[in-house]
Amino acid sequence: MLKDIKDIIRSLCDTSGVSGNEYEASKKVRELLSEYCETRTDALGNVIGHIEGDGAHILLDAHIDRIGFVVTSVDECGFVKASKCGGSDIRVLPAGEAVVFGKETVYGVFTSTPPHLKKDEKGNKASDDIYIDTGLSSARDIIRPGDRAILKNNWRELLGGRVASGALDDRAGAAAILRCLELLKYEEHNCEITVLFSVQEETTGGGAVTGAFQTNADEAIVVDVSFALAPDIEKEKAKPLGGGVLIGVSPSLDYDLSEELKLTAENEDIPFSIEAMGGGTGTNADDIRTSGEGIKTALLSIPQRNMHTGVEVCDISDIEDTARLLAAYITERGALND
Amino acid sequence: MTEELKNLCAVSGVSGREAAVAGYIMSKLEGKAQYKVDNLGNIIAFKKGAKRPKNKVMFAAHMDEVGFIITYITDEGFLKFDTVGGINVSVILGKNVLVGKKQLSGVVGVKPVHLLKREDETKYPELDKLYIDIGASSKEEAEAYVSIGDYAYFDSDYTEFGDGLIKARAIDDRAGCALMLEMIYSDLPYDAYFAFTTCEETGDGGAAVAAFTVKPDYAVVLEATTAADIAGVSGEKRVCELGKGPVVSFMDRKTIYPKELYDHIMNTASENGIKAQTKTMIAGGNDAGVIFKSGSGVRVAAVSLPCRYLHSPSCVIKKSDYDETLRLLYAVLPEIAVL
Repeated sequence: MLKDIKDIIRSLCDTSGVSGNEYEASKKVRELLSEYCETRTDALGNVIGHIEGDGAHILLDAHIDRIGFVVTSVDECGFVKASKCGGSDIRVLPAGEAVVFGKETVYGVFTSTPPHLKKDEKGNKASDDIYIDTGLSSARDIIRPGDRAILKNNWRELLGGRVASGALDDRAGAAAILRCLELLKYEEHNCEITVLFSVQEETTGGGAVTGAFQTNADEAIVVDVSFALAPDIEKEKAKPLGGGVLIGVSPSLDYDLSEELKLTAENEDIPFSIEAMGGGTGTNADDIRTSGEGIKTALLSIPQRNMHTGVEVCDISDIEDTARLLAAYITERGALND
Repeated sequence: MTEELKNLCAVSGVSGREAAVAGYIMSKLEGKAQYKVDNLGNIIAFKKGAKRPKNKVMFAAHMDEVGFIITYITDEGFLKFDTVGGINVSVILGKNVLVGKKQLSGVVGVKPVHLLKREDETKYPELDKLYIDIGASSKEEAEAYVSIGDYAYFDSDYTEFGDGLIKARAIDDRAGCALMLEMIYSDLPYDAYFAFTTCEETGDGGAAVAAFTVKPDYAVVLEATTAADIAGVSGEKRVCELGKGPVVSFMDRKTIYPKELYDHIMNTASENGIKAQTKTMIAGGNDAGVIFKSGSGVRVAAVSLPCRYLHSPSCVIKKSDYDETLRLLYAVLPEIAVL
């Protein structure tokens, strides 16, 4: 019985795990991963799973951290000052709901500048000063500098199998890998597989480079999100939401591996688009390829709207297509080595 | 005490479409007050008190809230919209909304910050560039669920947090409606009228008509008003503050409140040991602006709850201010009934 992929995505999105403090998300993803293989957590917090095999050794990576905020100071009226932790879009914060992870979990609201104070020279621009109103005079006893905060998780299901949450980057990718493992339960192959749910992609990239170093993998496939078309985006800069998985082609990616993935998608009738990039991919792929003695690396991306906001939108069919392509590739790669 | 507020904030009623709010309020008025609904959708209720007042007193609060109206559906299935009432783009971008009669989940789209030029990363788009994404992939799919002219509103629930704070969507002005219901549930010393009005956020259509019908000698408008008592704002620019009780206005951008009445209310508060404050800037406006010009003129007062992040998905008030406001209203009615 295949598990409902939507439940997996939601259970991952509903955990915190801001970059550098991924514990809650790592715990959840490890619990899900342990249904398929032995798992461990490394020094930096990466969750690593391993499936034995005599054939090619394939590393599957998705990052488990999410963007958020890190507390820098707390005042006596309960206003918490924070900095971005990762590339959060600060324009969406005013009057948004916040969750601060102090000694206790504290609810708050991102402050919004009232209209009478907007008339100054700055005009209608987002303020770099990020404050969360916790309404707690005792906030200083509960929240300390270094604590993390997020835009509150508002999981929503839209029409047509589309979902919205503030953590789909890259919990969608993690879900695709878990789904791939589920699909592989019903397939024969001899690949050795290492799964890496890496930390700190949104900030330092430290999780992927160290996680990949531990694997000796022959090749790596990174799963992340990329830009989906929307009314305000130029057509050449994004791909259709619901149009299938994106296969990256870039100088940072292994050309032949990308080509193999493309052929597999064609053979298996899995919808895909080619995402061509002139340089680095801005994902873990850039770090993994240069890890240790170097790893041939490919990138699969799930189209996403409103990246780095509280309302990231993905189409579940794209996540499913990504999982299918991963599983089909591994099955094929494993069969070749028979 | 705030149970009614919670119930009222759970109902949606963007200006021009207050029927659900009105329906809830009428169900609560049944057997408690006489009422009628006028041509503009105002509910005018009359509550009999222990005595007949010398002056006819009307309390007024508006039922409508700010929100959105769908104006166009694109070929790709995105919804274009206009705001109903004044809402700043900064609190719309990237927010969850509920659309149409079916209360469909939607999100307000945001161009990813990665695709913006560095100097544009903090800049807000123009309102007419915004769109709601309900997940539809085509105009046809969207049209199966949404029609042009449908209303949308912020998807934000009632939450209590902090030291007795409340966050909800439509506190402006369900708080005023809730206060009036509380008064109607209780035994009043004098007869009083209560007008639950429509379309305050779009131009005060309802209140003018309600006042014309009731012809009060005195009107007390119950509102939620901007409190800027947040980090980074100091002095008079804070306007008013949570926890300091109801805000009594002497002047705003629409109304000059009669000085004697303002003074009288402030004195009443002080004599009864009720916290009260005033606004330290001439800002905002409310139904008082049309009520005072109604018929041959009405003496008006405005008593407001200080509210952070007004006209946003997350209006924030303090429960103690709500309780204190109710106390002040009970103290004020017998005073102005016989002034």
